[in-house]
Amino acid sequence: MLITGGNKRLNMATPVSVLRLPKGPDPNSRGFDPKSPRFIALCRTSIPTSAVSEADVEQLPKEQHARSVLRESFLRCLLSVTNKKVQFHMYERVKVEATFGASDIDVMNFQVSDLHTPIGVQKEALIRCQDVISFSFDA
Amino acid sequence: MQCGWSLLGPLQWIRYVNKQVKVKAGKDEEHRGWLLTVDPVSASLVLVNFLDQDVGGGRASVQAQDVGGGRASVQVVMGHAVQEVQVLQEADQETTERLQSSFLPPRSRPLAPEQLHQRRAGVRRWLEQNRVPVQEDGEELLVAGALTITAPYGPEDCCSSNQIILDRVQRLIQSQPAEPPIHSTAPPNHSAALPADQPIQRLIQSHTAPPADQSERSSCD
Repeated sequence: MLITGGNKRLNMATPVSVLRLPKGPDPNSRGFDPKSPRFIALCRTSIPTSAVSEADVEQLPKEQHARSVLRESFLRCLLSVTNKKVQFHMYERVKVEATFGASDIDVMNFQVSDLHTPIGVQKEALIRCQDVISFSFDA
Repeated sequence: MQCGWSLLGPLQWIRYVNKQVKVKAGKDEEHRGWLLTVDPVSASLVLVNFLDQDVGGGRASVQAQDVGGGRASVQVVMGHAVQEVQVLQEADQETTERLQSSFLPPRSRPLAPEQLHQRRAGVRRWLEQNRVPVQEDGEELLVAGALTITAPYGPEDCCSSNQIILDRVQRLIQSQPAEPPIHSTAPPNHSAALPADQPIQRLIQSHTAPPADQSERSSCD
């Protein structure tokens, strides 16, 4: 990566044009294709309901209730992050700031705007949740 | 690399809620805070730190808005990155209440019945002025047989299974001019958010084929 002079880092506000990275082996293989081996290996689409044995049959309604309470709370939390500035902590000590847009239903990808990266501000971006360790914002 | 956190299940996760926890994530990240919820789909933890309390490890922030009377910094730790979760302490009643009300939509004071009635009439008049078929159904407004508006008749109170109608009616209500006086006669075609030649009935009939509808509209120009 080209390292520009120190003073050039100050002018990060101008969005950079979208970079077209080279294509991977498949037509859709930038890591988001659900059929790619990488996706299958790393990203389960969702956590399944626990397998119910005979002894657990009466636990199922309780589990479903707990699940819906937790999920509703989480969705409200996501609703409140919308359009706020968040800081993403990713692997390899990457910390980037962006404005949260939306999440998909399985929490696999986040859509963000104005992503501040070392190579400039990306106007719109999709962040893979598998790459994120945590993110934070002020409520 | 995943620890068992993601496999615990909702019944175990809910036991951690409203407790102060310490979470180790990724290689060397550590987060502390009150656990608000755990997403059952991704096992992600939502940790809240109130900035006016002295919580160990709480992050100071520059911009914070009020959350239920205080300021809070929220960290969401993705389930797949969690290494270890440790409970530090239980929340007292006050903190629990504060946590649970942090993200609820702000509850406005309940309106008196006459105010509700006036409001309902106002919204109904606005919809009728915009050529939207609306009926009063007890306390609710029934729009075009496909959408219901409950008290207090704001855009968020619209309920429908049809996304297009929902969007249109929400925008319409949002653009309603504030508090039109009851005695004035507003002009019939007052700033309709819908184009004047596209009554919502046509929209319902053709909502299953929106591309056809749009092409018809453009050919009329």
